[in-house]
Amino acid sequence: MTMMLKAEGLTKQFVLHNQGSVTLPVFAEVSFTVERGEAVILHGQSGVGKSTLLRILYGNYRPTLGHVHVRHGGDFVDIVTATPRRVLEARRKTLGFVSQFLRVIPRVKTIDIVKDPMLARGVTDDEASRRAGDMLARLNLPERLWSLAPTTFSGGEQQRVNIARSFVDPSPVLLLDEPTASLDATNRDVVVELIDEARKAGSAIVGIFHDEAVRDRVATRRLDLTAYRAAA
Amino acid sequence: MSLERVHDMNAEPDPILIAQKLTKLYGDRIGCRDVSFSLWPGEVLGVVGESGSGKSTLLRCLAGIDRPTGGEVMFRHADKPISLFDIPEPTRRKLMRTEWGIVHQNPRDGLRMDVSAGGNVGERLMDRGDRHYGKIRAAAIDWLTRVEIGEDRIDDRPRQFSGGMQQRLQIARVLVPEPRLVFMDEPTGGLDVSVQARLLDLLRVLVRDLGIAAVIVTHDLAVARLLTDRLMVMKDGAVVEEGLTDQVLDDPQHAYTQLLTSAVLAA
Ligand SMILES: Nc1ncnc2c1ncn2[C@@H]1O[C@H](COP(=O)(O)OP(=O)(O)OP(=O)(O)O)[C@@H](O)[C@H]1O
Ligand SMILES: Nc1ncnc2c1ncn2[C@@H]1O[C@H](COP(=O)(O)OP(=O)(O)OP(=O)(O)O)[C@@H](O)[C@H]1O
Ligand SMILES: [Mg+2]
Ligand SMILES: [Mg+2]
Repeated sequence: MTMMLKAEGLTKQFVLHNQGSVTLPVFAEVSFTVERGEAVILHGQSGVGKSTLLRILYGNYRPTLGHVHVRHGGDFVDIVTATPRRVLEARRKTLGFVSQFLRVIPRVKTIDIVKDPMLARGVTDDEASRRAGDMLARLNLPERLWSLAPTTFSGGEQQRVNIARSFVDPSPVLLLDEPTASLDATNRDVVVELIDEARKAGSAIVGIFHDEAVRDRVATRRLDLTAYRAAA
Repeated sequence: MSLERVHDMNAEPDPILIAQKLTKLYGDRIGCRDVSFSLWPGEVLGVVGESGSGKSTLLRCLAGIDRPTGGEVMFRHADKPISLFDIPEPTRRKLMRTEWGIVHQNPRDGLRMDVSAGGNVGERLMDRGDRHYGKIRAAAIDWLTRVEIGEDRIDDRPRQFSGGMQQRLQIARVLVPEPRLVFMDEPTGGLDVSVQARLLDLLRVLVRDLGIAAVIVTHDLAVARLLTDRLMVMKDGAVVEEGLTDQVLDDPQHAYTQLLTSAVLAA
């Protein structure tokens, strides 16, 4: 067993300075580890803090207390205390985040969006093109769209570009926030397969899925955040 | 992917630029105060904050244009740090011409308006010591193409260009000598939205492909999100918050940053 991620005593409260400095406690003292080849699914009702926790693991939100140790190459990086450069380096090579929405960069072609993370990891242009094409085809995105920027695509099409980008060379640690939300049943099945393949290839996964059937197919373990709910 | 491929980040390079307690006063008015940070090769730092918060003042001190009242700017040159304001003026000017570039908000401040587009770009190569006319012209054409200015416009003067074209020409002029460090003050200010998007994408790709370090001043948080790795938020001349760009924008900690990020709909 290889531990890929260790969350240690994560506590989060938002302080809203411009609304009378209201403090909004979300959760307290969340600790867990994720091994290589595991898929931990976060549970709990809306507002319990699932997305907040996932964002903290990625370094997008800052916890009030606690640490996030991620295996990066030979050693561990604490995403909470590492310098921005180190976090970006860990994201480039180790930590992937897939949300419900693609952040569209103006004018960048679909195929290049999918190739980009591979190129950043040193894959050759030819190989990156081939793998990007295969992945887009697998997600049923018509080839005529590949050379267009996704700005004008439908929500589901954009989401498939997003998925293709994230699963064409899956990160060793993958964080998934409702990646199947805007997909039809056929494409949702493809995504479930992709997640399973990534896990079996060794990725450690932490995910949020509203669809119970998807959860059942993906999860190797569940973590219910209700127990960590902080008192207001 | 295998974990074995992930391994090369233990060699820490040295920062290319270090600011230490930089302060600039205008009489008893504060331009900026006690600003410290390090910038590494290939890193893009954004500076945001309201009008009058000291962003341009800071940039001018960093770029060697204005002398700070206190503090120091260290620049890594020929593998050792030099203190920017301790070296003789001509040496500093030479560094500014060859090792770094400045993109001004108003393209008129960065272009020679009476010199052709090709000349504006070619001149910088001559500064660098290139003398071969054919090669200079070829490089100029290459760069004009990269910033999407047609080869047929090479002999036109900047005043015959639109604002967006002038800005793209300025960017070509700054990047052609392949500087290691670039300073930009509101590089997309005053341009309409579609022109901005093209320019931003161009900048994003150029900065990434050339691996240059950059400091970008902007009041536009969407620009900051697209172009920068790290963000510094300034208020009344001081830095109130800094960190990873997406973290500062999505989970701002300081009251002022919360105000700034809530004032826009979605950056
Ligand atoms: N940037 C933020 N600033 C302030 N409060 C926030 C921020 N992000 C999340 N919250 C608050 O944190 C709490 C948890 O939100 P979160 O989005 O993590 O819930 P969730 O469990 O993912 O819910 P859902 O199932 O509806 O997606 C909510 O009360 C939310 O309003
Ligand atoms: N040459 C000068 N002489 C006197 N005061 C100055 C001078 N330049 C700037 N200041 C003052 O220093 C402060 C910071 O100005 P600066 O131009 O750096 O702000 P800024 O953040 O770039 O604002 P903006 O977003 O409007 O460009 C302001 O109070 C300004 O009036
Ligand atoms: Mg959520
Ligand atoms: Mg200014």
